[in-house]
Amino acid sequence: MAATVKVMRRPDPGQTSYIRATLKGMALTFKHMVNPKKVTRQYPEEQPPLSERWRGTHRMEVHADGRPKCVACGLCPTVCPANCIRLVGGEDDQGNRYPIVYEIDEFRCIFCGMCQEVCPVEAIHVGVHFENAEYTRDRFVYDLDRLMEQDHPTTLLWDPSDPRSE
Amino acid sequence: MADSKATQETVTLTIDGQEVTVPKGTTILQAAESMGTRVPHYCYHPGLTAPAQCRLCLVEVQGAPKLQASCVTAAQDGQVVLTESEQATEMRQGVLEFYLANHPLDCPICDQSGECKLQDYVHAEGRKHGRSREPKRVFGRDDFGGDILFYGDRCVMCTRCVRFMEEKAQDPRLTVVERGNRSIIDTFFEDGVEGSPYAGNIVDICPVGALVSKDFLHKARAWDLDHTPSICPNCSQGCNIDLHVRDNRVQRIKPRANLSVNEYWMCDYGRHRYEWMNREDRLEAPAYKVGGEYVITDWSSVLDELAERLDDPRPALAVASPFASTEELGALRRLVDHLGGGRIVYRMPRADEEIPLPGFSDLARRRDLAPNGKGAEILGMERVGDDEGRGGLEDFSGHTGTLIVLGDELADLDQGFGEQASLYMYLGAHPSPAARQADFLLPRCTFAEQEGTFINHQGRVQRFWPGIQATGAAQPAWIALAALQLRLEGGGRGISTAAEAFLQVAEVAPELQGLSYQTIGTRGALVNEPVALPGS
Repeated sequence: MAATVKVMRRPDPGQTSYIRATLKGMALTFKHMVNPKKVTRQYPEEQPPLSERWRGTHRMEVHADGRPKCVACGLCPTVCPANCIRLVGGEDDQGNRYPIVYEIDEFRCIFCGMCQEVCPVEAIHVGVHFENAEYTRDRFVYDLDRLMEQDHPTTLLWDPSDPRSE
Repeated sequence: MADSKATQETVTLTIDGQEVTVPKGTTILQAAESMGTRVPHYCYHPGLTAPAQCRLCLVEVQGAPKLQASCVTAAQDGQVVLTESEQATEMRQGVLEFYLANHPLDCPICDQSGECKLQDYVHAEGRKHGRSREPKRVFGRDDFGGDILFYGDRCVMCTRCVRFMEEKAQDPRLTVVERGNRSIIDTFFEDGVEGSPYAGNIVDICPVGALVSKDFLHKARAWDLDHTPSICPNCSQGCNIDLHVRDNRVQRIKPRANLSVNEYWMCDYGRHRYEWMNREDRLEAPAYKVGGEYVITDWSSVLDELAERLDDPRPALAVASPFASTEELGALRRLVDHLGGGRIVYRMPRADEEIPLPGFSDLARRRDLAPNGKGAEILGMERVGDDEGRGGLEDFSGHTGTLIVLGDELADLDQGFGEQASLYMYLGAHPSPAARQADFLLPRCTFAEQEGTFINHQGRVQRFWPGIQATGAAQPAWIALAALQLRLEGGGRGISTAAEAFLQVAEVAPELQGLSYQTIGTRGALVNEPVALPGS
């Protein structure tokens, strides 16, 4: 099939004025300067509102004496669909089962929140938090100390009997 | 178990609407299991007497005034048994609720979680919520000595452990103290079961997490473990075992039932010797010496080179290991025969005494502390060395012909071993000082990484399966030896499976003729001629 060429006719450059179009654009800009309905958020000074059920990076709850609440039962690495939790259980000097190693690879995590849902002692939580930038990749494997230091709010679990949290 | 006289007659009964014919004397529970219906139970164990005290195996027998304990009620002709009737399930639910009245429900920190019968039964049939408002009794944790820890709170008082120590170990060190709600398992003496050579079995038979192993404590979750049927490599008894593997490491060994060998048990000696299977100092790639330096290469190049060097055969001597599989030993026998024949010796550590299990006389920790001494003997290998598995290789150090070492780590020998040999080939899993002079270093799988057979002291050929991945390029020795022989013979029938390797061994060992992996199966098969037992 022979190609059809459409020839566009443009005004001669010497005979065209852009003043009208420029004024039209400036008018829109000045209209927004005085528009009371602002849409630009002054992040990071101004933080966006996050849902209570927002699922961000994890945190580990601690007992009053500073021990992690985790008892190394192994349910979160079992349920984790991304296989991002590494757990080695052991016994502390008071005879309590606790995690010797507890690491979450936040790069691999898909933030489904099932670890929080399955935890029988409410130790591991996903959090209402999104600022996770780091300078190196290895900082994204959160170890137990890091998880215990995190202090952002924990996520509200979805309640099937109250699906809209009312 | 029905005795031999009773097996003459049979009875036919109906269980859950299905007719089943069993030998007279069989209990209802066994009859139900023979047709695939599992009746929940705690106190009944096929290897022990049944006291009918857990009250969980109650079933409805039509015509009987109340529910019958199926573990002790003999099956009778024309009986109509209902295991799932409303009355029976309601009773089981009630019994389980009583068990949970004092159970701490500490499943998250309990080692039995995932293989716990209380968990299983309550999950299947129990109430969703407890109704008990009373405080639970608390005993805490008790050290029973040896490898055993006792969590009294979790105990369901099935007394399997007490009966095992009484009936099988015949060393009654456990008993029930107190009565009713406060009753608890306890030891008579301070040292508990310390020193009892079969005490580890009470952890296996405990249906809940009351008795746990210190060695396995908090090590892995039951559902993370892969189970591979295998044979205990620690003595010539050849107990059937399961290797429990996680992250490519053997985490523990559990006995596997085989009524002809070890019934349901195994000794603690074997149970706790598994760490060597996880050793990380391994030979990983085949290598051969060129001008005093090792060249690391691949299997086909090293075998080509080896075949070229062996083309002009010299008198061969070989050291084999009784820890190697029959297939590996047979491949070595065939190779040495091909090279013109020669002595093959093996060294085997030997214990001072047998450690029998009094309640099952066929089972003992045997004096020969290797799994396949019988296989080596059948293949015409000669036993040398002392009871430590050392010495006996004085003629070998100065040998000037071909020298082959298969599996033996030569721990007692120095770096000069094999210096004079025209060709020294070391087929091993681990590096050894005595392999320094080896012209060819070939990495071999341990038994846990390959399929094969061991022949136990009775002459029973038993199969084992690979539980963990081999390190690097390590292969079962029979693969390398058979490929080498193919090159030496300049063609012929190649083999690719352990089953074929076994058939090749049978060609040189009349005792194994007619046997195959199919006939051996998972239970093992005796070698053809009753070979005289070693003087152990």
